[in-house]
Amino acid sequence: MPTIAIVGASLAGSSAAATLREEGFDGRVLLIGAEPQLPYDRPPLSKNYLRGTTPFEKTLLRPPEFYRERDIEMRLGSTVVKVDPEKRMLALHDGERLEFDQLLVATGGRNRRFPIPGLDLPGVYDLRTVADADRIREAMARGGRAVVVGMGFIGAEVAASMRQSGLEVVAVEPFRTPLYRALGEEIGRVVEGLHRDHGVEMLLDDAVTAFEGSGKVERVITRNGRRIECNLAVFGLGIEPATELVAGTAVRVDNGIVVDDQCRTNVPGIFAAGDVANHYHPVCGRQMRVEHWQNGVKQGAAAARSMLGRGQAYDEVHWFWSDQFDANIQYAGFHAAWDRIVVRGSLPLRKFLAFYLTEGRVESVVAINQGRDMRRTLPIIKARVAVDPARLEDPAVDLRTLAPASA
Amino acid sequence: MARFVTVAKADSIQPGQMIKVEIDNLPVALANVGGTFYAFDDTCTHEDCSLADGDLVKTVVTCPCHFADFDIRTGAVLAPPATVPINVYPVRVQGNDLQVEF
Repeated sequence: MPTIAIVGASLAGSSAAATLREEGFDGRVLLIGAEPQLPYDRPPLSKNYLRGTTPFEKTLLRPPEFYRERDIEMRLGSTVVKVDPEKRMLALHDGERLEFDQLLVATGGRNRRFPIPGLDLPGVYDLRTVADADRIREAMARGGRAVVVGMGFIGAEVAASMRQSGLEVVAVEPFRTPLYRALGEEIGRVVEGLHRDHGVEMLLDDAVTAFEGSGKVERVITRNGRRIECNLAVFGLGIEPATELVAGTAVRVDNGIVVDDQCRTNVPGIFAAGDVANHYHPVCGRQMRVEHWQNGVKQGAAAARSMLGRGQAYDEVHWFWSDQFDANIQYAGFHAAWDRIVVRGSLPLRKFLAFYLTEGRVESVVAINQGRDMRRTLPIIKARVAVDPARLEDPAVDLRTLAPASA
Repeated sequence: MARFVTVAKADSIQPGQMIKVEIDNLPVALANVGGTFYAFDDTCTHEDCSLADGDLVKTVVTCPCHFADFDIRTGAVLAPPATVPINVYPVRVQGNDLQVEF
């Protein structure tokens, strides 16, 4: 019986397993995950789960019986310690050896750590797993002041959730605004305003140089000389792809596992999808690696079809959301340098779309509380043709009329 | 007992459009798809956003917040992050009155 092994039982891995069965694959499906829980959804971990308003059961991607009914064999709480792509064999931490015909690597990423003194002190947290979220929740329940280090998407969501839970929050961000690298200064200022209006104290253009305390974190020291007394600290400094599974094999690694537009690595039978996959994107004609929810779902499914010989070029327009306070922020497209930003709507009211243009083409879009128009923008991004900025800007123009009919 | 309740004027919803009404304090979305009317729960089962604020393509509604898709004829989830279907309600047009069985 042919066996497909999937290493990584989160969004991409579980989506691939489900898709294999949907597509009628009747061989053995092995889904191997390092965490003990059934596959669950990570977005709530920084938002409603962190605030305690959503129970863990609601974050499960599929009910337990789903896997039983589809004969998806789970190995949870299992670490793969060795993969041999030539012998098509992998070994688990407990000594179990499993043979496979094809392997999907969906190992995701791990949080980046920087050598900041005191980073290992108790009370300094980072967030990736439900276990991490539980530790932060426990600390949040004691109240007081929290320092958030890094105002990227995770940091900004954690800052919002902690404010909403009644903590004092001080955020330290090395760039000039939150989300500066993704959104630029003009739109980053809008997010800064959102957080300030909700009482987050923001130290921009500053960086943490040390966490101090005896036995646990008590204060954070910044480059600009601030000493912030605190009860806990959470850092969100981005992730790095978890590629060690294929270290020492012939599988090519360069900012993740390098795959083509059908999730195939350079080694036959070995595939990758999700946060770990540096994939060739046919719409913009280059390799890219993204850490988005939608990519986990869709690329996991695409990899499954590719493994069954029914692959098609994976050409999704990348898209994600981030909910912070009353703002539903969405981002779509292909992050690149831009030469112009066109705004449709109102920045002060925090209800707008901002189009990032390069030579007249919409490369990416950020929206706050404008999901419907965001949805209608995706074909414009995919079309990759110049659009009239005056029409993008004009709220009376239906965005559906701006994409070529073929897109 | 289920009964038909008049909720809107049929000509107040253009083809391709949705509006939100309340029936017994429950937000209900009404959609006009090429002259056929549909009624369904307005509240997304994922995180409570208003589906009438979302996008409608034929009989598929997309939640504005996280792009879950539902079939408004059956309530079925067509795309995550939602996993739980929405309720749908029978609709009839009496003259210009749009009535929902509730």
